[in-house]
This record gives sequence, C-alpha cells and structure tokens, in this order.
Amino acid sequence: MATKLKEVDVVVVGLGWTGGILGKELAEAGLKVVALERGAMRTPAKDYAVPFIRDELRYVVRHDLMQNTARDTLTIRNNPSQEALPMRRLGSFLPGEVVGGSGVHWSGHTWRWTDMEFKVRSMYEERYGKNFIPADMTIQDWGITYAELEPYYDKFEYTAAVSGKAGNIKGQIQPGGNPFEAPRAREYALPPLRTILSSELFAEAARNKGYHPFPRPTANASQAYTNPDGSVFGACQYCGHCQRFGCEANAKGSAQITVIPIAMRNPNFELRTNSWVTKVLKDSDGKRVTGVTYTNVLNGEEFEQPAGMVLLCAYAINNVHLMLLSGIGAPYDPVAQTGVIGKNYCYQTGASATLFLEGRHFNPFMSAGGSNVTVDDFNINWDFDRGPHGFVGGYNVGSGFNSPLPIGYRPVPRGTPQWGKAWKAATAKWYQTAMNINASGAVMANRYNYYDLDPTYRNAFGQPLMRMTFDYKTNEHKMGEHAAKVINEIARSMNPTHLTEAAARTQPWTVVPYQSTHNTGGTIMGTNPRDSALNKYLQSWDCHNLFVVGANVFPHNASYNPTGPVGALAYWTADAIKNRYVKSPGPLVPA
Amino acid sequence: MRGGKLIPVAALVLAAGAARADGDAARGEKRFVECAACHSLQRGVNDIGPTLYGIFGRKAGEVGDYRYSPALKRSGIVWTEGTLDTFIADSQATVPANRMPYAGMPNAADRADLIAYLQKAAQ
Repeated sequence: MATKLKEVDVVVVGLGWTGGILGKELAEAGLKVVALERGAMRTPAKDYAVPFIRDELRYVVRHDLMQNTARDTLTIRNNPSQEALPMRRLGSFLPGEVVGGSGVHWSGHTWRWTDMEFKVRSMYEERYGKNFIPADMTIQDWGITYAELEPYYDKFEYTAAVSGKAGNIKGQIQPGGNPFEAPRAREYALPPLRTILSSELFAEAARNKGYHPFPRPTANASQAYTNPDGSVFGACQYCGHCQRFGCEANAKGSAQITVIPIAMRNPNFELRTNSWVTKVLKDSDGKRVTGVTYTNVLNGEEFEQPAGMVLLCAYAINNVHLMLLSGIGAPYDPVAQTGVIGKNYCYQTGASATLFLEGRHFNPFMSAGGSNVTVDDFNINWDFDRGPHGFVGGYNVGSGFNSPLPIGYRPVPRGTPQWGKAWKAATAKWYQTAMNINASGAVMANRYNYYDLDPTYRNAFGQPLMRMTFDYKTNEHKMGEHAAKVINEIARSMNPTHLTEAAARTQPWTVVPYQSTHNTGGTIMGTNPRDSALNKYLQSWDCHNLFVVGANVFPHNASYNPTGPVGALAYWTADAIKNRYVKSPGPLVPA
Repeated sequence: MRGGKLIPVAALVLAAGAARADGDAARGEKRFVECAACHSLQRGVNDIGPTLYGIFGRKAGEVGDYRYSPALKRSGIVWTEGTLDTFIADSQATVPANRMPYAGMPNAADRADLIAYLQKAAQ
C-alpha cells in the first residue's frame, strides 16, 4: 500500500538537464516542485575529482553512471517478425542514472537543429515531390520553427558554456564558423576549444576537397566562465576522459553544476533521490494526471505523490516507457498505423575510417570531449542535392579524438593478430599514429521502427519491459554509402600508411557494441493529436497538465547530437508553463 | 611529470622571492573566476578543490577533511605569497603529480592581482 504524500504543484520525473532546467525555472516562478530521481546523488567534489574519476573499469566497463539493467532494461529486435530478447548488458546506448542524468557523462556536443528537420516533410515534398519520400517513411513536420527556438538555443548554450565559432550571425556569414548554420543572434558563449593535430590534418584535407570545416560547438568550457545564472566553470584540461565520465575540472556543461544546485538552494524545490517512478496517475475522466507513484529503491517503500502538474524529464526511452505503463495516449500499432505512443523511434547511423600515418604523434590522450573539426556540406546544406542519391536527411563528417581510453583505445591496421605478442607490438606502434574520420548520419522515421511493451519480460517492479523494434532501412543504407565514399576520398588524400576504409552500415543493427546514446521519438511533438503525442509545447494532447520533455519528442533523428534542441525545448516549455499555462491551465494548442 | 622539471624545495624558496607585491585585489577578483569552479573561500567548504579560507601561512595538504594527493602532502610547502605565485604559475612543474586540473596562470601581473585578492578574501 503506497503512502500518500501531500500534494505539490509540480512533480518532475528524472533530474538531468531537462528536469534541472524545468525544476529551477518553475521553482523560481513560485511553484512547489518535487523532483524524483531514480539514481543516487553524485557531486563533482565527492565523485568526479581526480584521481578516482579516471577509472576506465568502473565507468566504461562497469557503467557506473548508467542505468542498472538488473532493475530495468529493454528487449530488442530488428523487426516485428522476431522475438525480442532483453539487453542484459548495456551496449549500443548508455542512459544515465544519477543526479545530472546523461548530462554527466555526455561529451557536450551542442548543435542547433534547423528547419531542415522541423519542416522535413514539407521541404522535401516541395523540392522533390511527394514520391521522393517512401511510403513507409513516417516523417512529419514538428510544428515548431527554428526562429521560435533561436532564443532558447541561445539560452541553453550560454547556460552550458558552449564553446564554438559562429558561422552565421543574423544572416552575416562568419569566417571560421559553419557557413551552413541557421542565423544566430550572437557568438557562442566562449571561443572554440583548441584544435588538435588530427582535427587540423582533417580540416586541411577537407578544405582541399572544397568542403567547409569548422570547430565543433561543445559544452566544454574553453576558458573559465561564469554563466548568466552565476554558475562557475573551470577551463577544460583536455584530460582525454570526457565521454562516460564526470568532469574533474567543472568544465563540462552539466546540470549538476548549473541548474540543479540553483534549484536545490530554492526552498520551493525538493529533490528525492533513489525514487523510481512506476506510474503516472490519471483522473477518472482521463483528461488530467493527478500525480505519480514511486518506489524508494533502497527499501522498496511505495509512495503516491499527488501533483497539480507532472513533467516527465527522464531519459528519452524511459519517458516513453512511463507513458505506455501509465496508459496515457493510444499505443502505436505499426500494422494498423493507429495510435501515437511508441511511434517514430529513431536512432543514428554512421561510417568510420581509421587512418594510420606513420611518423605522426597524435597524443590522443590529450583531447576534450569536443576536440573535433566537422564538415556539414552533406548535412544542413540544402544546396546539397539529395535527388541523385535518393536519400532524405544528411550526415556530418568529423575528426578528432573524444575519450580515446587508456585501455580500450587500441587502433591497429587490418590483418594485425587479435592477441599475443604481435598484437601488443602493433598497439604500441600504432597508438600514436592513428586517427579517425567519422560520419554521424540521420535516421528517418519508419513505420516499423517503434516501441511497445514487451509481452514476456518484466522489470524488478513487475512491469513489462520496453520493447524496441529497430533496423536501418534503405534510406540509411544509401546515406551510409554516400558518407563512406566521402570519408574515404578525404582519407586517401591524406596518404595514410594504412587505411581501414569506412563502410556503410548495411548489416542489421545490433545492440551489442556501443554506437550512440541518441535515441529519439516515441512521444513525438506535432501539429495534431492524430499523428503526435504532444503539442509544440511538449504538452500531452490527452492530459493537459502532463508535459514530456526530452529527445523522445523528436519526430525523427538528425545527424546532430540531440542535446541542443533538448535543452532549448526545456527552456521553451518552461516559458510556456510559467507565462501561459499557470495563468490559464488547459491545452496550450487547441486539438 | 613534464620532462624533469621537478623544482627542489630550495629553488622554490628562491623563486618565491620573485613574487610581485603590487597586485590589485579588484582585478584579482576577476582572475579568481579561474579558481572558483573548484575552490570556495568559505571556511569548511570543500568542492573539487579544498577551501582556500585561511590559506596564507598554512602548510600544503592540511585541510583536514580534504583528500589531497600524496605529492602535495609531501611537498612541504607553506603557502605564502611567494609559494602561491610559483604554484599558480605552473602547478605541475612545481609539485609534479599533484591533482589540480589547472593549466596555470603564466602572467606574473595576473598572479599578483589574484594573490592580492586572496589576501583580502581568503582570511
């Protein structure tokens, strides 16, 4: 029997970037906020300081900052004809599970997604005709514009200490930046990170091919910084331990050094850690939510927390899971193509080449999370004609090191023995001389890529696991082939001693090796309740006092990392709640 | 450790004599942003780095509840204007294997300003 607690104005489920932003903003607006985080409290002082943070076994192999699969995981399959099996060990993606969420262990890459994503169907149909988009590609416009989101991108970038070089300020192309980016109001919060040799060599080769390299915008403070809220950042030390680690120098833009401590100083805000939300409760008429139930994972005690408003701010997959477990909105059915919850799950694709350049010393151990140079010529460049290549979306190509791990990073040329003396000699020989060129590619929504509840497997709370059905489709294969060709041309122009060529990912997707934590969709935003779960303010079409925030709202996935629009949309939603919803509760967009 | 730059204690004491005494505390407060992400000036408040409250005259590695590197504990340094100046300029060269993730403040005038600020704010 759950203990019923006193009602609060807002319950926030999950305390990472989105929960931190909304918790802070709404507490400052005078609302009583309770945040429920299923992970533990972690602080930079106690948990992320040197030397203990540089523990590859603990953080990379044993996933210390990540979701505990003994409690909850997903079942995975490639298509509806297969039986899905549980992912017992985290692989392809790594959801965070501590205060700060995945924003603790991210690398900080912060992009502005443009109208090429937000208006994806209308732009491609207008240019290429309706038949260009395959019948099973369920892409749709998002119902929001870049112009609406621009001030919120700006706010997030300045909060998170994003370091970069503007390419377009109010329509004026800026030398050194990304010439294809949408216009921004001003420069980045900080100048770009220092380049490293591998990214410089890549930049030169890309420029010689006629492409437009620029430093990747990243929430790794390139110098000491105080953000507009007064949160203080140290300068990035290029320690080589960014992705999968907390930051030892408080240089990585993360909620636990910015919005969360500010919220925690506010008497209107309360954090409860180790609190696992099992269900969002609905009113008898189904038009409002009334709170949540949660379990203290340390002792199994159950609570009901009534609330005037519920904000789902957990990792993208877990937000969708909670919606399905709570029976809010109609579950998506890929056969009948009805329902919306679980629809349009998307991942990312890519291609990668390894270059061995004898005589070079790349010193890979000295790098930031974002020591990358990128080209967007095949990404947000609308002048790149997709027509002859037959794919929708794009990919960015980059080079540089991101957390090349002391133990795990062992590049060797093809044909090297996989163990023994010869392998050891090869890892010693090639460690300093290898660099990568990588593409990260968009994945367009497909009718048969989706989430639902697993019919067989259950989590530690007796609830059905989330089932993920996903595979790459023809669009991704074509894009991957194009990307591999471009990468290999750049790579060959650099005259490597050995080249492990890039190849498109055309084999079925597998959950086993790590690929990317950029999972999107499942409770998508849109213009109407027939084909989306949320309106443009991330408000549920079904229950107006429920907001669902995170990459789960993206109707498809772009080549870019998702945190830029995730952070911007959190601020956008906070404004909609503070300025409109609180004054007049109800649907912010008529259904 | 960078190529044998270990400075013996005697050299440290000599270098300490070079600290400038003309720092401007107001300018130094702006320099302190490079420290503030990790160091508090309040008594008893340790963050990623130990509190700097009461640092002058203290022996390095002595704030009771802070987990120092063995290198700093062994250093024998007593924090004065001079030793701080040397340490802040290039902490890894001064105390190799200490754990402060900081690249150093190369400009002597900036360091003098910072130290002037600390003398006011860290007491």
